[in-house]
Amino acid sequence: MSTVARRTLLLDIHRRLQSFTLDLQLEVGEEIMVLFGPSGAGKSMTLESIAGLVTPDKGEIILDDRVLFRKGKPGAHANVPARKRTVGYVFQSYALFPHLTVLGNVRYPLGRQAHAQERALSLIEAMGLGQMADRYPHQLSGGQQQRVAIARALARDPEVLLLDEPFSALDAGLRERLRADLRTLQRERHLIVICVTHNLEDAFALGDRLAVLRDGDLEQVGTVAEVFRRPTSMDAARILGIRNTFRARVPSADADHVTLDWDGLELKAMPQAARLGEVVPVYIAPTDIKLLYPDRPVLGGLAANQMSATVTRLEHREHQQIIRLLLDNGHELEARGAGYFYQALDVHVGGRVGITLRQEGLRILHEEDGRQ
Amino acid sequence: MGWQAFLISLEVTSVATVLVVIVGTAAGLLLARVHFPGIQVVEAILMLPLVLPPTVVGYYLLRFLGNGGPVQRIFGINIVFTWGAAVFASAVVALPLMVQAARSAIRSVDPLLENAARTLGSSEPGVFFRVTLPLARRVLIAGAILSAARALGEFGATLMVAANIPGRTQTLPLFIYDAVNKQQYGVVNLVVGLLTGLGLVAFIIIGRLDPGYRR
Repeated sequence: MSTVARRTLLLDIHRRLQSFTLDLQLEVGEEIMVLFGPSGAGKSMTLESIAGLVTPDKGEIILDDRVLFRKGKPGAHANVPARKRTVGYVFQSYALFPHLTVLGNVRYPLGRQAHAQERALSLIEAMGLGQMADRYPHQLSGGQQQRVAIARALARDPEVLLLDEPFSALDAGLRERLRADLRTLQRERHLIVICVTHNLEDAFALGDRLAVLRDGDLEQVGTVAEVFRRPTSMDAARILGIRNTFRARVPSADADHVTLDWDGLELKAMPQAARLGEVVPVYIAPTDIKLLYPDRPVLGGLAANQMSATVTRLEHREHQQIIRLLLDNGHELEARGAGYFYQALDVHVGGRVGITLRQEGLRILHEEDGRQ
Repeated sequence: MGWQAFLISLEVTSVATVLVVIVGTAAGLLLARVHFPGIQVVEAILMLPLVLPPTVVGYYLLRFLGNGGPVQRIFGINIVFTWGAAVFASAVVALPLMVQAARSAIRSVDPLLENAARTLGSSEPGVFFRVTLPLARRVLIAGAILSAARALGEFGATLMVAANIPGRTQTLPLFIYDAVNKQQYGVVNLVVGLLTGLGLVAFIIIGRLDPGYRR
C-alpha cells in the first residue's frame, strides 16, 4: 500500500437554489478536509454532490483521473451514478438499516462477494464492535451506531470518505476517542476525508485543512491553524466564532506538560508538539474556561491554571451564559457555561472572579508548512 | 354446488391478489417516490373503483375486455364471461386498497436510508428489494390481506363481465345470490358464516400488523 499514488479529488460545483447559490472550487488530497460554516451554507449539499445524490447544475468532480461528474465544462458530459463512485458516506443520523443487524449492515455493500462475511466481521472487529455483530441498530448507543456507520462506509474500500456532522450527537469523551480513530483510519487507508462540522473543537482536532463556507461561497481555505490565526475576512472570523486565540511563548516543555508564557501569564498545557522558545498560536474553547467557587476544591486538569479576572460583559442566551473576562495580563478571554453552573456565584460586570483554564483545553495550533 | 364456487373463489382471489400486489406496489412506489405533472390525476383514476358503482366498473371492464375493446384488438382474445374476467373484476376493485397501503408504506421509509444504500453500491432495484421493501413489509402485507378480502367479496362488476355460470365463473358471493333465490338457506348460512369469519380473521391480522400494535 505504501507506493499508492497520492489521491486527489477536484471539485468545481455550481448549483442554484432558492436561498443561495452553491459555488465551490476545491482540491482535496489524502487528508482530512473540514467544511466549516453555519447551517444552510451548502456544506451538506457539497457532500451530496460528491456522493452523486444530488446533481449540480454545472461543474466538474474528478477523482484521480476518473471524471465522476462533468457538465457545462470542456470534455465529455458525465454523471457517474452514486453506486459506482467509491465514495463512502457517513450520514449525520448514521442511516443504519433498522431491519439488519450490525453484521447485516456492514455486509450490505459487499453483496455476494467472496468472503463477504469474513471481511465484514473483521471490519466490525477493527472498529471495536466484536461483541455487537448480532445486535440491531436500536440496541446500540450513539457512539456504537456511528462506528457501525463508518465500518459500513469502509466495507467497499472507498477512496473518499464523507462525514456529515459526525460527532454532533456524542458526548465529549466519546468525541475525542472517535476523532482520534478517524485520524488513524485516514492515515492507514490513504483516504480523502471530507468532514462537515460547525463545531470548533472538531475542526481543530480533526482537520488538516479547513474550508469556510458562507451562503454557498468559499470564504477561505487553508490549514486549520492558518485559517484560525489569520482569517482573511471578518466573515470568516465571524463564522469561525474565533474568540479565544492568543500567541504565547514556549519557555519549557517536559513529559508532563508544556509551559506557555502569555505576556507574563504562565500557563500549563498538556504535552503536545511545540518548539521550545518559539511564539506559537494557542486556542482555548470558551467552555474550557471555568469560573471557580471559592469554597469548593479544584481538581485534576482544572487545578493548574488558576487566576483571577475581572468580568467585563455578561450575556445570557438560552441555556448558556457567556462571560467576558479581562485577565491581569491585559488580554480578554471568553468563558461559556450552562446557565445553572454559576447561579450561586455572584457574577456581575466589574466584579472579580476566580477562574481556571482547563489544562486539556489549551491547544497549540500548528504552523502550516508541515514541520509538525 | 357450493364446493365448486368455493374453489373458483379461491383461485380467482389468489390470482387477483398476486396481480394486485405487484401492480399496486409498483403504483404505490411511483406515487410515493416520483414527482411528475398530473400525478394527482393518475392517483384519482387508480382510486376511482372505490367510489364508483360496481355496475359502472363492470361496464368499463366490458368495453375494455369485450368485443371491439383494446384487449381484443391487441391480443385477439375475448375473455368476457370467462374465469379471466372474474379475476380482472376482482383485481380492479381491490387495487385502490393496495395502492393506498403501498403508497403510505413506502412513504414511511426514510429516503435517507435509500440514499445510504445507493452510496453503498446498490442499483435502484437493489435499493427497492433490500431496503424499501423489507422496511415497508408489514404495511404491504396488511394491504395485501385487505385486497384479498375485497377481491373475495367482489360481486357487482364480476356479475357484469364474468356473468354467473356455475362451475365456471360463479364465485361464492354469486353462489349466495343464487342460493337465496332458490331459498336454500342451509347452505347460504354456511357460506355467509364462512365469509364473515374470514373477514374477521383478516381484520384481526391486519390489526396485528399495525406498527403500533402491542401484545
